[in-house]
Amino acid sequence: MKIITLLKRAPDTEARILINREGTGIQEEGVKFVISTYDEYAVEEGLRLKEKMGGDSKVTVVCVGPEEATEMIRTALAMGADDAVHICDPAIKESEPFITAAVLAKAIKDNGFDIIFCGKQAIDDDMAQVQSILAEMLDIPQVNVATSFEISESGDKAVLRRRIEGGDEKVETQLPVIISCEKGLNEPRYASLPGIMKAKKKEIRTKALADLGMADAQGEIRSKILKWLPIPKGGECKVVEGEDVPTAVKELVRLLREEAKAL
Amino acid sequence: MAIQGIILLVIFVAVLAAFGYIVRLLYRLLRKGVDEDRFGQWAQRVNSVVVFVGAQARVLAQPAGIGHFLIFWGFIFITLGTIEHILGMIFPGFGFEQIFGTKATGALSWLQDVFGILVIGSIIVALFRRFILKPERLKIDDPKARREATLILGLIFVLILLMYGFRGTAILMDPGEVSRAAAPLSHYAARLMSGWGMNLPIANGIFAWIHHLIIFFFLIYIPFSKHIHILGAIPNVFFRNLGPMGTLSRMDFEDESAEKFGISEIQEFTWKQLLDLYACTECGRCQVACPAYLTEKPLSPFRVIHNLRGHLMDERKRLLSAGGDGDASPQIIPETVTEDELWACTTCGACMQECPPFIEHVQKIVDLRRFLVLTESRFPSEMQPVFKNMEVNYNPWALGYASRADWVGDMPVPLAAEKKSFDVLYWVGCAGSFDARGQDVSRAVVGLLQRAGVDFAILGTEEMCCGETARRMGNEYLAQTLIESNIETFKKYEFKMLVTACPHGLNSFRVEYPQFGYEIPVLHHSEFLLDLIRSGKLRADGIEKARGAYHDSCYLGRYNGIASQPRDILRHIPRLGLAEFPRREKRSFCCGAGGGRMWMEETLGTRINEARVEEFLGLGADHIFVACPFCMTMFEDGLKAKEREDIKVLDIAEILLAACKTNTDSP
Repeated sequence: MKIITLLKRAPDTEARILINREGTGIQEEGVKFVISTYDEYAVEEGLRLKEKMGGDSKVTVVCVGPEEATEMIRTALAMGADDAVHICDPAIKESEPFITAAVLAKAIKDNGFDIIFCGKQAIDDDMAQVQSILAEMLDIPQVNVATSFEISESGDKAVLRRRIEGGDEKVETQLPVIISCEKGLNEPRYASLPGIMKAKKKEIRTKALADLGMADAQGEIRSKILKWLPIPKGGECKVVEGEDVPTAVKELVRLLREEAKAL
Repeated sequence: MAIQGIILLVIFVAVLAAFGYIVRLLYRLLRKGVDEDRFGQWAQRVNSVVVFVGAQARVLAQPAGIGHFLIFWGFIFITLGTIEHILGMIFPGFGFEQIFGTKATGALSWLQDVFGILVIGSIIVALFRRFILKPERLKIDDPKARREATLILGLIFVLILLMYGFRGTAILMDPGEVSRAAAPLSHYAARLMSGWGMNLPIANGIFAWIHHLIIFFFLIYIPFSKHIHILGAIPNVFFRNLGPMGTLSRMDFEDESAEKFGISEIQEFTWKQLLDLYACTECGRCQVACPAYLTEKPLSPFRVIHNLRGHLMDERKRLLSAGGDGDASPQIIPETVTEDELWACTTCGACMQECPPFIEHVQKIVDLRRFLVLTESRFPSEMQPVFKNMEVNYNPWALGYASRADWVGDMPVPLAAEKKSFDVLYWVGCAGSFDARGQDVSRAVVGLLQRAGVDFAILGTEEMCCGETARRMGNEYLAQTLIESNIETFKKYEFKMLVTACPHGLNSFRVEYPQFGYEIPVLHHSEFLLDLIRSGKLRADGIEKARGAYHDSCYLGRYNGIASQPRDILRHIPRLGLAEFPRREKRSFCCGAGGGRMWMEETLGTRINEARVEEFLGLGADHIFVACPFCMTMFEDGLKAKEREDIKVLDIAEILLAACKTNTDSP
């Protein structure tokens, strides 16, 4: 079974994000990057499926991203993925879902696939579009925000659960399929040291757009980010302290009237 | 030579041959272990044997040790006498007197006689303890171990009686055999037996024969019982770790094709680690010092040793057979040592502090953890985010590394990157940077350094986790990454010493960074602040009246022997009364956070920090003084759980700064 897991390099959730002066992106200095959290669930689920199917099943990581994304790809390889395709081209400057999906579609088609796992959204731009565009481009079904996944005996169908408001939805799908993963689907493994050592020797096929026969990526852009803006600062919080509740309430009313002018 | 002598000679030679074979087997088993350099420093090694074997220094740390002291020396004197007696039976007329003279032989005889009764007394006390008092430390859930202990005590008891039997009957047969002065108790035994109407030569022969056969049985039985310590303890003391306590070995990650890291099979331990297994006699002192055991967790240090020895003995045939290497070796985990045991350890080192023959438990536990973490990637799930946080943000908290120096706030704290050259690099540490109370302590330390006019700097966001926690959790790979990065950073700046308020960092820099080629004087803030007080750069004018007890952090008091300095600081503060924990200094009781336990759930048994808080509550004090950020957290949590938040937990730097602030004229 050819298992594809998609992976994006994204700023660490704890990183202090500042917009750059031009408003075209974030200041990368001092920001640590990681595998986008939901993509880790995708890698893990891919590995679990491979372990279950056995035989010549193979997990291939496919990543669109800058050179630095190699580090994240190696982490996925250390977890146990077999090889990787890294589409790295200066022409793909910013993260635009249509381009990303188009590039991924081409790379995945070239590689061959039976099932694709990806995160339900990237933790940086939260667009959650790539999986759907990709599903259309590959003309395969998609199941989003999966919280459980089970492959059928024959390996041509899968049963999934999706967490929706107030309950779970149980879905059956044919393969090939693209599945976007939600927290709770699994607990991603911590790469073992032999895994890390082996990952250093695993193949990462780095490809430029030209290698995919897609010289003109810019033509695919459907949306454009005009400007990145900092979040406006919220108002300050004030805790009203008083000896007892009535005094505190009196003080609160006074503040609301005189300072906040809300009353 | 009489027929009796010939039979005894044949048995004696056969038993000696068998004993020699067994000793050789034990030696060959040791040699299956990995190399470890425990050679050199010979004078100190000999001295260790004199102090800890001869004088039984650690054994005597507890009253019950007196019994062992008497049995040990009794065993030596009586064995010499036994050898003489056996040789005398084989070669009639033989006696030490012909070789060593009357005086020495008389003295030996007297020692045998007197120690004999002392041994009997000790055995009675030992049996009383084992069967009536049943102290916690003798508790072991292996019935075989209990049977062994009883059998050996019983046989020694019988042996001594038999000794008096054959010595007494010999006196009855020939009153000139040995003088009353040289054998007072044997003469007494003779008087007792004189009325029994025994056929003296036959009785004498029976007593001696049974006695010697029991001795022969011992020679064969002991190496396979817990009393193997008779063979193992002395060399183990001789080859003991003379360096700092609990230092972990540096792992080599050069071989990128390696499939395995850490230890999962018995022969992967070093020969010295295997010798440890021979040295344990299951006295249980480690058990009753172990914070995990005392809070009903599945770990007892000596049971780990006991089970590993059992495993080694079970595997001896396979290990020693020529082609045995090819067989699949049984795994230590989980049959011999369970994961729950391994993760329960706080690496506090109390077991090693107590152990009379200097067994090193903690390193074995970490070696096994290394296998679980590095090779198997198998560990309590709450550890994974900790590792990831350390990898990505260089601290165990899930906080961005860029905010590492945010605690500084408006304080003018110089950065190493700006100053380049300075006297003191103040190592803030992860807790000092990210934990709210840790940050208070950091600000207090900085306040004191500034008050005293110290030329210092901090690394700010260049500082990374020191690697100590990762190392003790078994993640040597991550630890080495952090250690190497920090060393690179240190090398960029010129400074005379490191000062830190974290004992874990202190131990790491002082003891473990040198393994990676970086040495610099490292002081704990208690040492440095005390120097500042003594040199008059800080003056504590006092606080409102308070009474507190200082809690020794394991990595400070036990691992690094820093116990007087923090107390001296507190003594410099007027109106501050000091109480003392019953368990303190080198024998302090862990807060529960060491060895990475700070980051793990404590789901088994009761909570260690609450046990320590209870110990404190018995002191009637209102302050707990700590000198470690982990201890701080554990105490605050423990007090919360006990609903005693009226008790304040303060770092020594905080109370000192408060005391200094009362004088406005500098210093």
